Amino acid sequence: MAPKPITSPVPESWYPTLSVVMLAIGLVITASFFIYEATSSRRTRSLAKELTTGALASFFLGFGSLFLLLASGVYV
Amino acid sequence: MRLVTLALAIALLTTPVLSDLILLKVDRRVDLTSHIVRITATLKVENGGSDLVSEILLAFPELQVNNLAYLTATTKEGKGKSKTSGAGLPIEVANPEGMPPALRFYSVSLPKPLSEGEILNLDVLAVFTHTLRPFPQEITQADIQLVVFQDSAHYLSPYAVKVQSLTVKLPESRLESYTKLENTKAQGLEIKYGPYENLAPFSYTPIAVHFETKHPFATAPEVVREIEISHWGNVQITEHYNIVHGGAKSKGEFSRLEYQARPQIRGASAFRHLVAKLPPRAHSIYYRDEIGNISTSNVWGDSKKTELLIEPRYPMFGGWRTAFTIGYGLPLQDFLFQSEGKRYLNITFGSPINELVIDNLTVKVVLPEGSQDFSVSTPFPVKQGQETKVSHLDVVGRPVIVLEKSNVVPEHNQYFQVYYKFNKLSMLREPFMLIFGFFSLFVACIVYMHVDLSISKSSPSYLAKLQWDEVRATIQQIESMINQCLTIHEKLEASLRDLSRTGDVQACKTARKTADNLLKEHSKELKPLISFLQSSPQAAHTLQKVEELLAKERELQDRLMAKHSTVVDCYERKFAGRDIEARVAPLQQKIVTLRQEVEDLLDYIDEI
Repeated sequence: MAPKPITSPVPESWYPTLSVVMLAIGLVITASFFIYEATSSRRTRSLAKELTTGALASFFLGFGSLFLLLASGVYV
Repeated sequence: MRLVTLALAIALLTTPVLSDLILLKVDRRVDLTSHIVRITATLKVENGGSDLVSEILLAFPELQVNNLAYLTATTKEGKGKSKTSGAGLPIEVANPEGMPPALRFYSVSLPKPLSEGEILNLDVLAVFTHTLRPFPQEITQADIQLVVFQDSAHYLSPYAVKVQSLTVKLPESRLESYTKLENTKAQGLEIKYGPYENLAPFSYTPIAVHFETKHPFATAPEVVREIEISHWGNVQITEHYNIVHGGAKSKGEFSRLEYQARPQIRGASAFRHLVAKLPPRAHSIYYRDEIGNISTSNVWGDSKKTELLIEPRYPMFGGWRTAFTIGYGLPLQDFLFQSEGKRYLNITFGSPINELVIDNLTVKVVLPEGSQDFSVSTPFPVKQGQETKVSHLDVVGRPVIVLEKSNVVPEHNQYFQVYYKFNKLSMLREPFMLIFGFFSLFVACIVYMHVDLSISKSSPSYLAKLQWDEVRATIQQIESMINQCLTIHEKLEASLRDLSRTGDVQACKTARKTADNLLKEHSKELKPLISFLQSSPQAAHTLQKVEELLAKERELQDRLMAKHSTVVDCYERKFAGRDIEARVAPLQQKIVTLRQEVEDLLDYIDEI
């Protein structure tokens, strides 16, 4: 079997775009999370909704910041 | 050197001839154009005995061996233009018995044994460092740099040599002195010794050449190369250099003015810049030292290479040192490959800087976190070690393979391989670290909002706050109810519009019925909420508004129902469209104003 060159799973030229898009989505969800935290009172708050919003936001923020690091040359 | 010669001469008389090999012809070329001395010897070997010979001994004086950096032997197959040089033959250190003590031997294993009368052509390249001795040892800024090279005019070998010659190639035409023997000719940039015929084994005639050189004597006592692999698409190389001008030491004072005005004369022995030949597609190149970025550097490149010219902060005179770091990124797909379930890095070993002698080179290969089963294959022996490095987003640290080698010359710039196993899922470690970090922030917020942090659970202000929370929650519930009622109203209006379009009275009636039911349910649910508000003292100032809102909403509802019944009634009695409009008009007006009032009140309550 001939040696096969290994490339990154995502083309490197996508990193800046991916980073901007995912961070934007992440920040919007984060904003909605905090709006929900601030406006809902202790009785009306649902833990499941908080956790899902938080998980979704951290997923997008996590990948967004990873691609931000990669796009700015910090290859982790 | 004299002593060595004497010792050799004594030794030579006592040594037996150990092999039947005869060197028919030896051509040696000594290249002195740089500070790395390269001696190429072309040997024509004949087996003069009857036994098969499978190895050839190469002899070097002990003093030279200490500076021997690289030794390779290749066979030449065929003749004339179709010559092909094969791969390097295996060379081992040998200690044959009964040999003179001041000599060291290397044995070259031949690809196939040499039988009687057979002839073999062999190319031997030996590379020496620190062999050119500056003489005088100290010079001023204006002096030229002279160095001495010493070797033997005769090829030192345990075998008899029939015909031999030696050519010494010089960098500058200025030649101070050289040993004159019979058959010596100095012509332009070359000195020729020989041909000499029929010399016994271990013939040794010392020669010395004293000449000028302007070549940069760049030697590095210590170089550390760090190669860091990131599977996200980059091989990052960081090289820490510690460079000394290894030529004649500078004495007296240094005048920058004179150097600047006439660098060719007042600084001929200094070097101003170094050139590094980086692989193609190198990116993010930087050059800095301890106090920051050095801006005097230049990069240009094409599809085959990238050249980086770096200029230290000062011209380098003899004995001066400088330390700096260069770094660059390389595309992953050029250096990392997969084969038979293993990944391997295929990259050059030595430093990319031209004609640099490295006394101690350390190459560190930083593998991604989660790599296993490493193995290294190098074309020459190196010292291996292992450590871990904690870098960006690491938990346990990355495995580092440390390769150390002393006396490294550009000939060592050969590819070596580091094999390792890696699970693709391990790539997700870094993003998951980040995700986990962000998620713990959110969890902290959630916990903060849920946990009751007040110390005194019975204080009046705390109780008041609790009550107020409850009132707020109730008001929010009421608001959402009202909003739901408003959407039901919308639906009723929509059913009326459908009626005017299709004339389907029955559908309109069912819509009305469901709306009635829903509204009834809502008003039932609203009742306990209102009674709670009425009982709570905290809600006193909002209660009035809430009640007003409810009243308005009830009225709006009534009007809407009345409008609905009227329109449906009119349709059943088959009134004309204009008639219907006339009947509904006053109701419609009232509905619009009421709706506006309800929305205003909702906004007002929302702001509390």
